[in-house]
Amino acid sequence: MGSEIWLGLLSGIAFGFVIQRVGASNADKMARAHLMMESDIPKFMLMAVILSAVGLLGLEAAGVANTRVLPTSLVATGAAGILFGIGWGFCGYCPGTTWAAVGEGRMDAVFALIGGLAGAAVFAHLHEFFIPLLYDPFNVGQITLADWTGSRPAAVVLLVFIFGLCIGAIHFLWKGKNGGQTP
Amino acid sequence: MDKKNNSPLYWPWLPAAFALAGIIVFIFATFGPPASSSGFVSLIKGAVQTVAPEYVENNPHYATMPDTGSWLFAFVLGMAIGGFAAGRTGSIPVRDIPEIWEKRFGTSRIKRFAATFAGGFIILFASRLAGGCTLGLFISGSTQLAVSGLYFGVLIFAVAMVTARLVYGNTGKEE
Repeated sequence: MGSEIWLGLLSGIAFGFVIQRVGASNADKMARAHLMMESDIPKFMLMAVILSAVGLLGLEAAGVANTRVLPTSLVATGAAGILFGIGWGFCGYCPGTTWAAVGEGRMDAVFALIGGLAGAAVFAHLHEFFIPLLYDPFNVGQITLADWTGSRPAAVVLLVFIFGLCIGAIHFLWKGKNGGQTP
Repeated sequence: MDKKNNSPLYWPWLPAAFALAGIIVFIFATFGPPASSSGFVSLIKGAVQTVAPEYVENNPHYATMPDTGSWLFAFVLGMAIGGFAAGRTGSIPVRDIPEIWEKRFGTSRIKRFAATFAGGFIILFASRLAGGCTLGLFISGSTQLAVSGLYFGVLIFAVAMVTARLVYGNTGKEE
């Protein structure tokens, strides 16, 4: 247990450092990304997924991957996605960036964190009402792209292709080209 | 003055994505799928169980999550430390109210703090309904090729873009 906590802390420090430096913990940059004015953050997120998926394939080949696929509930996952999008677009923070922004000293993020704790507590209290109502009846299981492509490497290729297209589209459709930052 | 906020203050996105992916792969090797909304649950579980242990014991949501003595809580705490260290060693300006919000809604701190409290409430409520957030469901899920993560990801980006348009209107466009 001790080593698990140190690993978590170390991973968190590295993660928080990177997302602060790229500007993801800055709600102003996040809002500009949502408004199609700056493309850095969404390209960063999608590229991180592409590289992680390829890396995870390597871990799986080496037999050291710890995976846990969350099920898809057509209604609960969908309704939660819509709600989450409203909150994210409204305040410019997502749960992870909130912690990094609090560390930076952004006071509005402190309130996002407190609000988040309240939201988690309220959901936990209502878990028994919402999960059987919205989640369980529409749960189609732990489906992945590999169920369609037949193999995991083929699914990774498909994912890389789709996310790569998205990055290209964002690069050209978003207004700002980010002041020469693009390598 | 705001136009300058892209210059060398921020890391370019591509090397930063390599750095983040390296960390994510490290986490998959040493722990499992990274998550951050779970850290909120761990913290609130740890807090509530000190005053109402029976309530926490009988709650099905807390039953699925460890308390603060866990990787999940250490990770979010680490993110705050990492944000602090990055902020202190860099030169990205720290503001209590984002520039674009100030342009649209003025300098009232109460208004901004009320908004982020509400926003924080909504994103965590939603994350707990779906079982994860931007990191725990979209990034971790998509990395594992999960349909749940991709489905959630499409919706959060699309709805956030529409919401931001409604919230900010043409603010920032005139620059």
